[in-house]
Amino acid sequence: MVRKVSIVSAVQAAGLTKRFGSLTAVDHLSFEIREGEVFGLLGPNGAGKTTTIRMLACLISPSEGSASVGGYDTSKDSLKVREIVGILTENPSLYEKLTVYENMDFFAEAYGLSDAQERSSRIRELLEFFRLRDRKNEKVAKLSKGMKQKLAIARAIVHNPPILFLDEPTTGLDPESAKGIRDLIEGLSAQEKRTILLCTHRLEDAEKLCNRMMIVNKGKSVIVGTAEQLRSTIDSAPLLRVVLKGMNQRIIEAVRGVRHVRDVNVENSASNLIVTVDDLAAATPEVVRNVVQAGGEVLSVNPIQPSLEEAYLKLVKAE
Amino acid sequence: MRIQKAMLVFRKDWRELRRNWQVTLPIFIMPFMFSALLPSLVVLIRAVAFVPGAPLGGLATVVKNLPSQAQNELAGLTDQQALFYVVSIYFFAPIFLIIPLMASSVIASDSFAGEKERRTIEALLATPISDSELFLGKILVSFIPSMIVTVASFLIYSTVVDVFSRTIFNGRLLLPNVIWIILIFGLAPTVALAGIGLTIIISARVKGFREAQQISVILLIPILILVFGQVSGAIIFGPEVVAALIGAFVGVDLLIFRIGVRLFRRDEVLSKLA
Repeated sequence: MVRKVSIVSAVQAAGLTKRFGSLTAVDHLSFEIREGEVFGLLGPNGAGKTTTIRMLACLISPSEGSASVGGYDTSKDSLKVREIVGILTENPSLYEKLTVYENMDFFAEAYGLSDAQERSSRIRELLEFFRLRDRKNEKVAKLSKGMKQKLAIARAIVHNPPILFLDEPTTGLDPESAKGIRDLIEGLSAQEKRTILLCTHRLEDAEKLCNRMMIVNKGKSVIVGTAEQLRSTIDSAPLLRVVLKGMNQRIIEAVRGVRHVRDVNVENSASNLIVTVDDLAAATPEVVRNVVQAGGEVLSVNPIQPSLEEAYLKLVKAE
Repeated sequence: MRIQKAMLVFRKDWRELRRNWQVTLPIFIMPFMFSALLPSLVVLIRAVAFVPGAPLGGLATVVKNLPSQAQNELAGLTDQQALFYVVSIYFFAPIFLIIPLMASSVIASDSFAGEKERRTIEALLATPISDSELFLGKILVSFIPSMIVTVASFLIYSTVVDVFSRTIFNGRLLLPNVIWIILIFGLAPTVALAGIGLTIIISARVKGFREAQQISVILLIPILILVFGQVSGAIIFGPEVVAALIGAFVGVDLLIFRIGVRLFRRDEVLSKLA
């Protein structure tokens, strides 16, 4: 497990455990999230991600262990924790019979924006940002799934919380809406320096957005680290992709003759070689030289990194 | 406890309620039947179409057990007038305690169970609204409409009774009188609050609205005991009885509120998501 010392912790969990009868949904999770960091919580369905978020948001109490959010103890200062946290729940949790504006207005006031003018201006600003201003007087029931998700995120940040818990923010969205949400999360982190706990099973989201991530499986922490560190856990020989203008048997044999090369495969496109090597730094120049000497024309040479997906599947399977 | 937070929950639920005719329609129809149709068709018409010399039937016991002040009120009345007086003033009194319970039962059952069914509960519980504020807000949204319905039903009932009493009592109007005013504005609210509090506790602990409503029907039993007690003459809603009941129910209401807040656990509510 990769461990780093944090400068300032926005969220800290120590031995966090939740049992439902005989089922242990979360099993002694310990981690910390630094201020301004986007921290991913990855894992298969039923891994305990949502339960962890619920404990941190003071929606349910842990069976064992403790947590602090923004410096407040979740078991002693639950109201304070709720005030400084914005949460996007697993489903949008919106009142379908109320309008877009009424939903925002209720939650804004519930989160402490008691001044009507301040509330109205904040809501207007958010609806503008999420391109929902034209729909503000429509009942939520009439909105598309993507719009509901945007509204739910707008609701989560209506009180300008420094800490955000986002549970599966892009699930069920079309690619364009999902990208919109990802851009938004990126903006909230980069420009507004909010601390974000992103709970997802979409590795694409995690890789693009998270500074660090933790893989959980069956309630237990499998690993914590950056995407790079997670990939490095895959213990396999380095690969090299060589893209050529043309391909012939002579070139393949020439590459096979290189000292550090273990195996050579031709990719489907027929002009790409996938070369398994012992040592990338030592093998790459020799491979290029041999290809050229065999009459080949090299268009590009790139090391192939194991994907986060491979690392994830390997780590989850190993548990 | 911050009252404005409870009022915020109330306003939100009230807005939703107004737009849900499936919930609001039964709230208004049932009390109307109790306050206008039932007394008109079943009892009062019988009293108006009274056959001289006919026995008072089961009501004889009620008449016999009336408080002395009420017995004095009956002095000098004809049998028809006495029957009408007893039926309209005493017989229907406990039935009016059922109205706020019935009107509130749909809303109170929906309070938390409905939010669970519609999957809105998680975002609500994540807000910095305390348990007691949430509980009070949910009580208010059941209590205020049920009291509006009860007072409206009382006005309708008074009108129906007075229309008949003008004929039978030669222009005299029987309602409203002091006992009924205490009953509607004193006893009915305290009974309603007890029923609402218990129903909301049930609603927070079950999975769905239907389940909550089925269980909350049990709450009508004590009120039905009062109704049958009145019919059998065992309990008569005189001033002393009504005052004693108000005192008892105020105590019960406070106890239920305390227990309700103590039993309200967000864990429990979320674990029962449908």
